[in-house]
Amino acid sequence: MPVLPSFLVLPVLIAFTVALTAIIASVVAYVVGGLMRQSPPVAAIGARRLAAIIVWLVGGSFALQQAGVSPDVVFVVVVLLGVAALIALRYPLENFGGKFFSDVYIPYKVGDSIRVGSASGKVIEQNAMATVLLTPDDELVSVPNTLLLREPVVNTSPQAWKELTIPITVRTSLDLPAFESALLKSLSKLRSRLDPRFPPVLTTKARGAQGTDLTLTLMIRRAEDRDALLAEASKRIAEVTDAVQGAGRKVG
Amino acid sequence: MEKLRICINTQTPLIQFTSGTAKGRLGGNPPDATLDGLVEGQDYRYSPGGVTRMVLPLVRRLQEQGVLGEVHWVSLNPAGPPTVRLPGLVLHNVSLPDPRMRSYGQTKEVIWGTVHGTAEADGASEMFWSDDFAEYAYYNRRTAELIRQLDREHDFDLFYIHDFQQLPIGGMLDSLKPKILRWHIPFDGTVIPDTWRPRITAYLDSYDAVVVSTDAYLRALHQFGYQGRGVRMYPYVDPDDFGRPSASTAQSTVLRYGLTEAGPFALVVARMDPMKGQDRALRAFAKLRRRAPDLRLVLVGNGSFSGSAQGLSLSKSGRWRSALEKLAGELGISDQVVFTGHVSQVELDALYERCLFTILPSVQEGFGLVVIESWLHQRAAIVTDQAGVAELIRPGENALLYAPDDLAELRRHITELAGDPARRQKMGRAGKRAARSCTVAYAARSESRLMREVLEA
Repeated sequence: MPVLPSFLVLPVLIAFTVALTAIIASVVAYVVGGLMRQSPPVAAIGARRLAAIIVWLVGGSFALQQAGVSPDVVFVVVVLLGVAALIALRYPLENFGGKFFSDVYIPYKVGDSIRVGSASGKVIEQNAMATVLLTPDDELVSVPNTLLLREPVVNTSPQAWKELTIPITVRTSLDLPAFESALLKSLSKLRSRLDPRFPPVLTTKARGAQGTDLTLTLMIRRAEDRDALLAEASKRIAEVTDAVQGAGRKVG
Repeated sequence: MEKLRICINTQTPLIQFTSGTAKGRLGGNPPDATLDGLVEGQDYRYSPGGVTRMVLPLVRRLQEQGVLGEVHWVSLNPAGPPTVRLPGLVLHNVSLPDPRMRSYGQTKEVIWGTVHGTAEADGASEMFWSDDFAEYAYYNRRTAELIRQLDREHDFDLFYIHDFQQLPIGGMLDSLKPKILRWHIPFDGTVIPDTWRPRITAYLDSYDAVVVSTDAYLRALHQFGYQGRGVRMYPYVDPDDFGRPSASTAQSTVLRYGLTEAGPFALVVARMDPMKGQDRALRAFAKLRRRAPDLRLVLVGNGSFSGSAQGLSLSKSGRWRSALEKLAGELGISDQVVFTGHVSQVELDALYERCLFTILPSVQEGFGLVVIESWLHQRAAIVTDQAGVAELIRPGENALLYAPDDLAELRRHITELAGDPARRQKMGRAGKRAARSCTVAYAARSESRLMREVLEA
């Protein structure tokens, strides 16, 4: 004897597929996040999101198949949508990607003086499309973010090599003061590698409904420690995030 | 002109809840309490010192003048309910769990000691790397987050942050709105460790204006490298807060503290803290025993908010009072010295009225509002040259100055004033005139001008 009436089988199957996809997407995002613990937090968040999107695409395709849509049709539609989006948004996407990578991997920030290609000046704005420079002649120069990935960027600010800035996004649900306090304690263990006059500083960059964008600034003692310190600090940020989240759940 | 909406931030709360029953009588811990039904002195008290003497009168005066609308005031106040409403004022209380509170208090003391150039600054160079400093950051971030939340609700015009405990708040607010910092303690860049300079500079630069208490501090601030708008504004009080008690009140007060109706005494009003130099006053008195056997020394004051059970519970004040009592015994002058602890405003007025003169023996003193209080009662004052208020003193005319460790000079001044009533009166009258530049009426003009300037800059 059937457990469900036949008209309910399909909706239940689709609901089950969606629920399973959500669980798998969370697990995959968690695993990817764990694998990227030593990467800059912004990169880890991006990778988690990408992994979750891929899982949802696969799960969605499967759900559509359950509904009787041919897998070939689903595949073709997804590919066509992707290609169309890439063509339509090619330049914005390039620039957006450039912003993402320049945030993480190119050592300059608002307020620094840089030279890229034929342009040079003080960075006064970094948006999704371009980095805006103010030249010594009071002119504004807009440098597309893609250029920052293709051309050598020279940071001419004094002692720019010392400064290591790490973007961090903290979810709204996380206790920001507790996170900052725990992170400062954790980073003080790296003191022997940092300039004693410049303890770690956490500054807020932007706030949104989902979370707060912060910048962690470390001043290093030796240029050759940059990579190692970036990895170590990123690992500690992830650990502190987990610990504060865990403490919050216990309190909750 | 539209009334300004401002948010004030001080470490010390305007109102301290003095008993557990206050919360109980407020009905648990209501989000929006009032003082209705509570008894001042039993359930709560106004914090002694600058917040009540200076900041509150300023707020009231600027509200009367139509400069300010409703003011929001954020403070550290673990024993208070989250919010207390008073007419025209909303007090928001920040609470810290105990271990964090202790660590915050330790860091605060290190900063305080360092800026005052005392030995308490041991470990200062390590401070920014310590776990205690992480809790200092925690307190400031929690306060800044609360202020940001209030700003979203009330859209303030400016933020007025008071004193070094709150120094990082300016940067943490992450706001383009004007921010003023009032620096109440001495400012001397030469005592600030080199390892602190970049951080302190960054903190100061996050404010649109920094207000200090004397011209000397303002020069030091600029020499330190502060490029922003530095302002000298003498601290101030509201003369109306200092009344003349009735004869019976004055009599009952002196009798309560074991003084005789006609017995002469000198008055020291200062919290119990080694920096206040009460030990030096005792030592000077010990050598006057033969020359002025009837003269007594009355020490008024208790701990600050930092030393109170309602505050940070730092035990410095209790230890210092015990040390002073022991010292008085060793010097053989216990019968000449009276420790009153905290006194009410009426009692304080009575003691000012009945004393011969006042002494401010501080080793270091940001300003020394008690000298202004003494002058408002037309009492002559003997003041160390290390107090900020020394800038207003014309020696011999409105007060007498001495170096904190020059006890022979202090004894000479005491002997001189004790034996010359006419001189005391003349000096008291001159002091009252000098006190005019330290009144809230005078300061309200400067404060409102500064607020307008930073808003229009």
